[in-house]
Amino acid sequence: MIFRSVKKKYLTLLFVFCIVVKVIVMEEKIRQGYLYDFYGELLNDHQRSIFEAYVLEDLSLAEVAEAQGISRQGVHDLIRRCTKTLEDYESRLHLIDKFMHIRDKVDEIRTLTQQDVTDASMSKIESIASEILEEL
Amino acid sequence: MAVKIRLRRMGKKKAPFYRIVVADSRSPRDGRCIEEIGTYDPNQNPSAYQVDEELAKKWLANGAQPTETVNRIFKNAGIVK
Repeated sequence: MIFRSVKKKYLTLLFVFCIVVKVIVMEEKIRQGYLYDFYGELLNDHQRSIFEAYVLEDLSLAEVAEAQGISRQGVHDLIRRCTKTLEDYESRLHLIDKFMHIRDKVDEIRTLTQQDVTDASMSKIESIASEILEEL
Repeated sequence: MAVKIRLRRMGKKKAPFYRIVVADSRSPRDGRCIEEIGTYDPNQNPSAYQVDEELAKKWLANGAQPTETVNRIFKNAGIVK
């Protein structure tokens, strides 16, 4: 009886874990796409063309390698190194983070304006606006 | 001849939007694609995707290789296990 409930708990945990992993993995190329949008200019031409092919055009490592005439391992290392560099820029500058926050808040304001105008919604808009100014 | 199912990034800078396309793996860069079978929009929360299931199954049955990212979308959509 006890064993069964413990097992159930573990299964639930495992299930949640799988979902979390899935979401994180799912985001990877999208995340790299954002990194490229914000900091891509800081890569050199060679890095950029490889990163573009892998991230924006969704080519496999082997396909990029063949097109560039370098080894698959080379492409893999370069992508990892670039991602690390770009993540490092992000951890110092937080441009993506800020962008996402502000975008979400503006989105909220837009939703509010689509509803009926009430004093409550107006003051909500005002408070969101000040939050955005704070963030800038 | 290898046929691939991959994402193609459309959209603007900082506003990604992807199409799911079927393309020949030998002509990856010239942008030609054989067919468009869906879209993927990570801007929405949760990410929104739309896939023409019939076409996807047809291409998979014909041996088209989905990329990892596309495969995950297909899994979410219940097209492959």
